[in-house]
Amino acid sequence: MAYTAYDWQQTLAEKADYAESRLHHGLPVVALSYPQGLLLLTLRKNQQKIFEVYDRLVLGALGNPSDLEAVRQFAVDFAHAEGYQRSTEDVSIQRVVSFAVSPVFKRAFSDPRRMPIVLKSLFAQLGETPDEDVLFTLNYDGEFDRHSSAACVAGTAEAQRRALEALEEKPPSNQKAALERALYAWTLGRWEPEGESDNGKPVLPTQAQAKEILEEHLKDGFRVEATVLQRGTLRERKFIRLDRDDLSPFLPKAGAA
Amino acid sequence: MKTASTNGDFLRLLQGQGITPLEAPSIQGLPAHNPAGSVHGTTVVAAKFRGGVLNISDRRATANNVILYDEADKVMALDDYTLVSIAGAYASAIEAVRFLKHSFRYYARSQLQELSLEGKLAEVSRVLGQSLAGALQGIGGFIPIISAFDRKAGAGRIFFYDIMGARFETREFGAAGSGSVQIKGALEYVVREKGPFHQMSLKKALKEMFVLLDIAASLDAATGGLAGLLPVAKVVTADGVAQVEEKLLADAYEAALGTRTPPGGA
Repeated sequence: MAYTAYDWQQTLAEKADYAESRLHHGLPVVALSYPQGLLLLTLRKNQQKIFEVYDRLVLGALGNPSDLEAVRQFAVDFAHAEGYQRSTEDVSIQRVVSFAVSPVFKRAFSDPRRMPIVLKSLFAQLGETPDEDVLFTLNYDGEFDRHSSAACVAGTAEAQRRALEALEEKPPSNQKAALERALYAWTLGRWEPEGESDNGKPVLPTQAQAKEILEEHLKDGFRVEATVLQRGTLRERKFIRLDRDDLSPFLPKAGAA
Repeated sequence: MKTASTNGDFLRLLQGQGITPLEAPSIQGLPAHNPAGSVHGTTVVAAKFRGGVLNISDRRATANNVILYDEADKVMALDDYTLVSIAGAYASAIEAVRFLKHSFRYYARSQLQELSLEGKLAEVSRVLGQSLAGALQGIGGFIPIISAFDRKAGAGRIFFYDIMGARFETREFGAAGSGSVQIKGALEYVVREKGPFHQMSLKKALKEMFVLLDIAASLDAATGGLAGLLPVAKVVTADGVAQVEEKLLADAYEAALGTRTPPGGA
């Protein structure tokens, strides 16, 4: 039986439905620049979701853990081979995403015989200043968007938009402000609206309600995973994972990684 | 997605992509004329002090009797807890340092755990093995001294290598380069008469190193003296790798060499 253009379109729609349904309840990952660094934050149970890719590059994602592992390894391999052949300065997130990773997503998505890569990824690159930070969000179909200073991936497009608006509201002046904003934005990306206001838009949770959402997750066994690429550090390695002591002042109860 | 498992082995990653790293500049048919132990015009010294390991080097780069450059940096960080001081062919050494930095980081990022100190030392041996063919012909040989802060043991450690990659741990100090031959006895004298380096303060160890480097420069034409720029001095401690502050260097210069004007008027 011939495989028609209609069949192909139908397959893509079904693959998109499949990926969307699998990602719908995924926990968001948010990224936010501030003068001293670049923060990535999410909540997780056991599996790590944020990884160092290269000297100034980091990756966070929601979705299938084995897909994430394959993408992570691929990005790490690409970046290191590039960095060695040229220079560490020449490895950019734009090249990693648009030339290396995105085409692989696109191929997997448009090939009717293959499973899509069920992943929404966030790639970030630390610059000399927050304005020079570059962030990319990459969808399961290979589509990507470029952002500066703030980015988010969440279960749905609407949740993603809500979290991004919260992240972009006011540039944080330090790590403390960035962590507070990132946690609030994360809850907005996680929150599912129940009712609507008079103007047809959902009423967003207040800061206090957001804390409750966070607390519920911590009670359910989730932990905050937060990493920082430090700007202007003299250390060789710019990437650090924030520990329990760094995070506990911002959490309702102990829930740091 | 092509993710052939490399088990965190950077050399295997590059080879899998058709990249030949650390290509030994060996020329087929060229006989060995300047074998292991050949002239490495420089002086690099690593010595312990109370908080870790101090590395110091002169700044001269030479080719036979020609001074190529008097601002060379021969002490480099491989990662936040490992320093390498190099004597020998600068080109191969720099390439090896680039490879090792990538190799250590690649392992950590791909395997999600740090490469152990033992693993790092073995990787240095492997790199030396790669450049052996050229080194035996007198092209591209170099000798590294590795200084690390062993976070498990909570102490600084020093390792030196021969040109084939054999590794030895040293108790107090390690030195390499043509000038080191002149001062090894003096280093030993310092340990016996003034006490072990690992019990000295950084200030005291620095002063001793300045005196020794000055002696090396006065006895070895390939070692840069202290009349130009101050030597490169870096430390590795529990806090990681750091450059020794200018002020400490200037003080050490004065303590070691008295009223001579410090380079650059510091």
